[in-house]
Amino acid sequence: MSLQAPLWRSIAVFRFASLIYAAVLLAIRPDFYRDWGWAWAVIAVMTAWTVVTTAGYATPARRTWLLLSGDLVITALALLSTAILQTHDATKIGVMPITATWLAAPALAWAVAGGVRAGVAAAVVIGACVVSLRWPISGAYSSTALDGPIILLLAAALVGYVSMLSARAEQALQRATEIEAASRERERLARTIHDSVLQVLAMVQRRGAEAGGEAAELGRLAGEQEAALRALVTGDEQPLAGPGELDLSAHLSREASALVSVITPADPVILTEQAVTETTAAVRAAIDNVRRHCGATARAWVLVDDEGSAVSVTIRDDGPGIPDGRLAQAAAEGRLGVSQSISGRIRDLGGSADISSTPGAGTEVRLRVPRAVLPA
Amino acid sequence: METADSSGATAMRVMVVDDHPMWRDSVGRDLGEAGFEVAAAIGEGAQAVRIAASVRPDVVVLDLQLPDISGVEVTRGVLAAHPGAKVLILSASGEHHDVLGAVKAGATGYILKSASRAEFLDAVRRTAAGDAVFSPGLAGLVLGEFRRLASDPAPDTPRLTDREAEVLRMVGTGMSYKQIAERLVLSHRTVQNHVQNTLNKLQLHNRVDLVRYAIEHGLDTDPR
Repeated sequence: MSLQAPLWRSIAVFRFASLIYAAVLLAIRPDFYRDWGWAWAVIAVMTAWTVVTTAGYATPARRTWLLLSGDLVITALALLSTAILQTHDATKIGVMPITATWLAAPALAWAVAGGVRAGVAAAVVIGACVVSLRWPISGAYSSTALDGPIILLLAAALVGYVSMLSARAEQALQRATEIEAASRERERLARTIHDSVLQVLAMVQRRGAEAGGEAAELGRLAGEQEAALRALVTGDEQPLAGPGELDLSAHLSREASALVSVITPADPVILTEQAVTETTAAVRAAIDNVRRHCGATARAWVLVDDEGSAVSVTIRDDGPGIPDGRLAQAAAEGRLGVSQSISGRIRDLGGSADISSTPGAGTEVRLRVPRAVLPA
Repeated sequence: METADSSGATAMRVMVVDDHPMWRDSVGRDLGEAGFEVAAAIGEGAQAVRIAASVRPDVVVLDLQLPDISGVEVTRGVLAAHPGAKVLILSASGEHHDVLGAVKAGATGYILKSASRAEFLDAVRRTAAGDAVFSPGLAGLVLGEFRRLASDPAPDTPRLTDREAEVLRMVGTGMSYKQIAERLVLSHRTVQNHVQNTLNKLQLHNRVDLVRYAIEHGLDTDPR
């Protein structure tokens, strides 16, 4: 259902109401007209044209420029017949033309069909006809000669604007409907996948780990796919984040795998876009370090703790740990991997990064990012 | 076969609630082989609530993804029907709010479906013994919930002690109670108590909240 349909319907209503008004004006003052009978003939033509346009404008396919142009010409002719049929005295004292307010209809139709410019163009044509009727008779400037055309001009511009808005709203509505349909479909898929595929993958992972050997490798792969698939079907949601903000939990959760658990609070952890991007990069660097130094089978945990004034992220692994002095030694040797890609990034955010390790009991990297980032 | 476990005592009665037949069978088989009595294995939450009083399970192993009612409602309903039961959540995923809701409603454990059989059976045993079973994920959720409550100025809002927060953070980074006890120079039991306390505070607060809600909205209305 088009949003423009009501506009066309209201033009039809306007036409009928104006037609009745024109007929009433003609009926109560026959003495204003030089030929009352022919004036009624004009009303008859207007009636017929009202029926034709109402039927024509009702269907979008028939709203052609041919019909719109015909509308303008016939209305102008009916209007101009006033010059012959109305007495000069009546015109001089400001009696309405035979068409009365009916003359506004084509300008409104043009405005709805073509927007502000088309509406104004049609209003200028009709307005020029009105002025040409009155000007030669009144002689000089008269306010009544211009009031009608000016009001018509403004009304046409306004209706054109509303029409443009409604066209735009219609497009937006259609896009929203498409998006909604797509997200409903995604939800349906997510439910189905959740009910079947994820359950099976979790089972394969579990059984594989128990069977050991090659099956354990299969189980690990199944676990990775489960994590990836879950992130896919639950992802893309950034509910409470405002402009320039992101949910740190959602971003870090993408780093989860069979060996990396990402543990977050239930509610989103909102930080500035920069803080989320940099922290995620730092966490990724820390996980890479785990892979490099602790082997392919070391497990890691990433814990997000929203303390309010700051957010802390702890990355712990169950590897062999770093011997005392190794970090300082690495930095001294110019291998700045850890201090640069982790500490450097977090320091730029006004936060701190601590690395602690107990030989034999894994390594822990603790990042603290303050909420209120100082202007750089 | 299901008459007695290794200790010779009466077998623990376990009710398995999971809508996926594959998981129901597998979990049931594991439990049976380990000497537990699988008193019921069902796929619908409403049915679980309905039969809880007559089945009288010691432990309910509950999947949060059920076709009819939410895991939170099942937890609340089962515990109301049979207060002696302990609820252990066995879930495939991180439906964070559901897990937190179920824990606040009285569930005392949460373990992922990807956990090994040994971890799972250990979790059931500990749940039956009355211990809270915290996966790292649950520790993160509970910690997050206390952080959220920290901004609530009401005087009866539960707070974490520094030690409890420290312990939760360690559980949340995958450390075992044994590792935590060594690191903090505490007994294993003390670590367990700290974890248990955090859960008790949340559940108590949740009950107080429900009562307050019921009073504010007239006692005849269903709280929630």
